[in-house]
Amino acid sequence: MKKNEYSLQGASLTKFFGTAAVLRDISFSLSLPSSLAITGPNGSGKTTLLEIIAGIQRPTKGTVRLFRDDTELRRPWHHETGYVSPRLRLYDELTAQELIEFTCASRSTLRNRADEFLAMFGLTGHRKKMLSRYSSGMAQRLKCILAFISEPPILLLDEPGSNLDREGKEALFRYLESVRSERIIIIATNEKEEADFCGERISLG
Amino acid sequence: MVKTIIAHIKKDFRIEFRNRYAVSVSFSFAFTTTLAISLAAGGIPFSPQTHAVILWVIMFFTAMSGLAHIFVREEDRGTSLFLRLNSPALAVFTAKLLYNVLLFFVLQCMILPVYLFFMQLDVQSPLFFLGYVFLGGIALSSSLTILAAIVARAGARGALFPVISLPVSLPVLWVVIQGTSRSLGRAGFSSPGDMVFLLAFSGTITAVSYLLFEFVWHD
Repeated sequence: MKKNEYSLQGASLTKFFGTAAVLRDISFSLSLPSSLAITGPNGSGKTTLLEIIAGIQRPTKGTVRLFRDDTELRRPWHHETGYVSPRLRLYDELTAQELIEFTCASRSTLRNRADEFLAMFGLTGHRKKMLSRYSSGMAQRLKCILAFISEPPILLLDEPGSNLDREGKEALFRYLESVRSERIIIIATNEKEEADFCGERISLG
Repeated sequence: MVKTIIAHIKKDFRIEFRNRYAVSVSFSFAFTTTLAISLAAGGIPFSPQTHAVILWVIMFFTAMSGLAHIFVREEDRGTSLFLRLNSPALAVFTAKLLYNVLLFFVLQCMILPVYLFFMQLDVQSPLFFLGYVFLGGIALSSSLTILAAIVARAGARGALFPVISLPVSLPVLWVVIQGTSRSLGRAGFSSPGDMVFLLAFSGTITAVSYLLFEFVWHD
């Protein structure tokens, strides 16, 4: 019987840009539920490591493998991962409502929780506004909604609190706290609050 | 998968009709060129062969200015990362291909009446003329879609697209100009070979594109 027990394993992850090594021999093993903070100074490779886990970049050496009930899942892991990053750009010509509908259709997810997530992140009144008129904080809240709405078992969060005000951060941590017992959460951050939220830590640089 | 593809097409048309970039650039090019040729010709009648060449030069450059946009826009604005994280490559390519075929069909529907009116074109076999125009449109848009995907991932896009699209588009242009010329003249429709070629070309290039796109998109 399937129990949807996920585990994520990174082995000997190394990344070179030209001759410069950004990551050297990083390994980790996470089982659901767990949380990992990736910390380190600017340029130490936090985002690179998260992007390698997400499949956006390829490591020079090493592998990242995802298992569900001991069966290895092949990439891409669209249904298994939710990703938030400052590098993620959204469509300025769409409204939040349209982008949520598009994301749910892309991920084959029901959008019956859209209202709940919009309310949770305080965007209910802005759902029909074009994203070109969103502030950076509102866009960050929407990125969180888009990553969380399909309820993926693995959350990859690159500086999730960036651009968020106190209210936004509280909404984010309220949500993460409510799902931490049923997710693998990886946060790349320099913020103490975000790093302290996680049970395990990799320090780079 | 079908719902995902429809969602992508809806999203792309929504964005296009909110900024009207491809439609306005392509149509204004086609309209200006047709008008300029018509005025320069000053009523001198062209042969069917010349009309076919002029019409397809206009169609080709319209396609070049409008269809590459679909992938280049995603890369330039950085939204391609959002697509990669949320959608299967197969759905992305199918949606972009259908979008380009539909967009070029819309552009052709706008260009043809303008051309027929300003050039006072007398079509001898309207059905075959339309057949060549639309089959040629499908062949051009299917080949330019995968080329746009390749070019969007490369640097020096402006120079690369015309260079790599020329050898791929040349056979289509050659066949479609001959067919259009025959449908405009008294010879009419002589053999189904040209139309079969256009269909086979579109099918082959689409099949190759599906094999290639996964690598282009993720690597």
